[in-house]
Amino acid sequence: MSTAQSLPALAADFPAPQIAYSALSPMVAVFGAALIGVLVEAFAPRRARAGLQLAVALLGLLGGLLAVGLLAGTREVTAVGAVAVDGPALFVQGTVLALGVAAMLLLAERSLESGGGAIVAQAATVPGSADERALVGTDHLQTEVFPLAMLAIGGMLLFPASNDLLLMFVALEVLSLPLYLMCGLARRRRLLSQEAAVKYFLLGAFSSAFFLYGLALLYGYAGTVSLPGIAAATQVTASNDGLLYTGLGLLTVGLLFKISAVPFHSWTPDVYQGAPTPVTALMATGTKVAAFGALLRVYYVAFGAIRWDWRPLLWVIAIATMAVGALLAITQRDVKRMLAYSSVAHAGFILTGVVAATRAGLAGSLFYLLAYGFTTLAAFGILTLVRDADGEATDLSSWAGLGRRSPMVAGAFAILLLALAGIPLTSGFTGKFAVFSAAADAGAAGLVVVAVVCSAIAAFFYVRVIVLMFFNEPAADGPTVAIPGAFTSAALALGVAVTVVLGVFPSPLLKLADQAALFIR
Amino acid sequence: MSPAYYLYLSAILFTVGAAGFLLRRNAVVVFMCVELMLNAVNLTLVTFARINGTLDGQIIAFFVMVVAAAEVVVGLAIIVTIFRTRQSASVDDVNLLKY
Amino acid sequence: MTTKDVVFGALGLLACCSGVLVVTARNVIHAALWLVVTLGALAACYLLLTADFVAWVQVLIYAGAIVVLLLFAAMLTRAPVGPGQDLDSGNRPAAALVAGGVGVTLVTLLVQAFRSAYVDLDRVAGTGAGRPIGDALFRSYVLPFEIASVLLLAALVGAIVLTRPEIGRR
Repeated sequence: MSTAQSLPALAADFPAPQIAYSALSPMVAVFGAALIGVLVEAFAPRRARAGLQLAVALLGLLGGLLAVGLLAGTREVTAVGAVAVDGPALFVQGTVLALGVAAMLLLAERSLESGGGAIVAQAATVPGSADERALVGTDHLQTEVFPLAMLAIGGMLLFPASNDLLLMFVALEVLSLPLYLMCGLARRRRLLSQEAAVKYFLLGAFSSAFFLYGLALLYGYAGTVSLPGIAAATQVTASNDGLLYTGLGLLTVGLLFKISAVPFHSWTPDVYQGAPTPVTALMATGTKVAAFGALLRVYYVAFGAIRWDWRPLLWVIAIATMAVGALLAITQRDVKRMLAYSSVAHAGFILTGVVAATRAGLAGSLFYLLAYGFTTLAAFGILTLVRDADGEATDLSSWAGLGRRSPMVAGAFAILLLALAGIPLTSGFTGKFAVFSAAADAGAAGLVVVAVVCSAIAAFFYVRVIVLMFFNEPAADGPTVAIPGAFTSAALALGVAVTVVLGVFPSPLLKLADQAALFIR
Repeated sequence: MSPAYYLYLSAILFTVGAAGFLLRRNAVVVFMCVELMLNAVNLTLVTFARINGTLDGQIIAFFVMVVAAAEVVVGLAIIVTIFRTRQSASVDDVNLLKY
Repeated sequence: MTTKDVVFGALGLLACCSGVLVVTARNVIHAALWLVVTLGALAACYLLLTADFVAWVQVLIYAGAIVVLLLFAAMLTRAPVGPGQDLDSGNRPAAALVAGGVGVTLVTLLVQAFRSAYVDLDRVAGTGAGRPIGDALFRSYVLPFEIASVLLLAALVGAIVLTRPEIGRR
């Protein structure tokens, strides 16, 4: 038994762990900004908060982007093996940060809703109570949403860079918990929004438990939770393969839940519909990009040696995801739910790149994630503009004739829909071409045929909306299109510009993705 | 002794928790079922730590408890909020979103 | 058959039965109290596995703090303190199917993986005590530890946002 020691003596025999904070600088910037945001919340006067919070958040995100730029080309494992800073991690982090800037701008837009924005004035008031009615017409805003969003984005940065499953799990929770809360903060239709939060929270906690059981079984199999350690264990022909495959399967359940792949997609339309639209935009893009980054790392780094075993499983899931997403999107009568099912279908398309399990597949997936992210974010941004007396008018029929009434907004939405459908000269086409050709080269030709058929089905419902907007008479009592404020305009312009530029000049980014597509092992 | 029995116990508890999650409709009870599942995971981790002769499993179990504590705070805040709106904690009442 | 085996058998039976009761209890408060029993039995299992520190954290955090929070929630949501009839949802067959599948898979898997495993559970000095755990926590797991603090901050801010009206609003 140890005897009591003095503090300096303890410090002397405790070597400090090595952490290269420079390699972690994007995360440090974002978490730092989140902490400053919490302090702003505590000490700044209410009037000044919204502006200050946005400034702090944007500074943190842009600082993070700068740090990612400076780190480009780094290949380093740090923090006692817990974090891997390499090409795919930095590419995903850069994407998440850029999407975070746009989502933060949408979140900060206050020209709508009589100066309030999309977020509830005060979450603690009961909907329908006198307290709430007193706040409805005011420009009150629950400004804590900014630090919460920053914490979520920080988790999204850490998730794809985690080199061991424990850190990956903690990062998963850091990105999820603030999002569960933010789902419940919509200004209008608060009951729907709170129900979305409950649903997302309970199902999210359930899927985390599966992720953890998978982690525990893999720990039992490999004796470690570090991804390279698991990879080393899979290469030794040992017994207990059952533990390996069951662990991998349960881990996959948790990850597939976050990317909303079939059969773990059923929460997606409900939660996306109920959450405030800027939060939906962040969930549909940032979470999905980060979760795919983590999924790619798990499959390529830890289970690269047994890819012949997991590829058939992902084949089936990719096909089911594409088919279910595309077919159910056709039946939707609500634009927000349609976009939610579209995000399910796109998860399937990106999975075809994961199935390839080659460098080209990785590069294609990275490119697709970026292209999909900006297009989807801008599409949700446009939803915030089409409004009637009850807030956002998301019913499909009320969008009829929008092109005559407001050609700019409808035109932008048409470009985004064409990109989501994968029409040439948009980023969607380039992305689909990249992942499909990688999958075909890797011997998954059958999967590519299914993917192309699903793309055609999906194109039908995207084009249907365009036809509805441009070739139908507007209804007399249809929704109005709000003039976007400066923040929304900036976010939409960014999204549309990336969509078009990546369609016309994709080669620089394709080259960048190709250079980045090498995991450190 | 054979450590396998501890693993059987954890598998059974995990299954019971998962069944309860799907079966019950009171949000608080549903959440208790998740806690049961997390505890099953912890038992697995500690047992494997013992089998492998390393400490990692115990430390992961410790992290699971920290995360569970954070989750319970957030979850109960959400459940209490929606209860104030609806005066009910039944999951099946969460159905405005069902089409 | 050693004393430890007998003790484990009793604890395992207790944990299983109380776990089933958590899931089937007609009364929310009873479910929470059965959860305490399950957690306590598991804490004793950790002691048998020589994980002393985890066992006491289990008692303090899980049984002490988390269950108390759950009880608060049950009372704040005015859960029926008497037996409630509407506690089961309609999807009984689906639940049975999924749970049965999971259970059968896991148990068969573990049986075939660990049929012949054997570990000497006699105490090895120091494993699972506070000191080696603290050492490993702040040496190998220091980054997850730091990130966990961020997680707790997020939970704190979030819970306040959802439930506390702004201070000094009027």
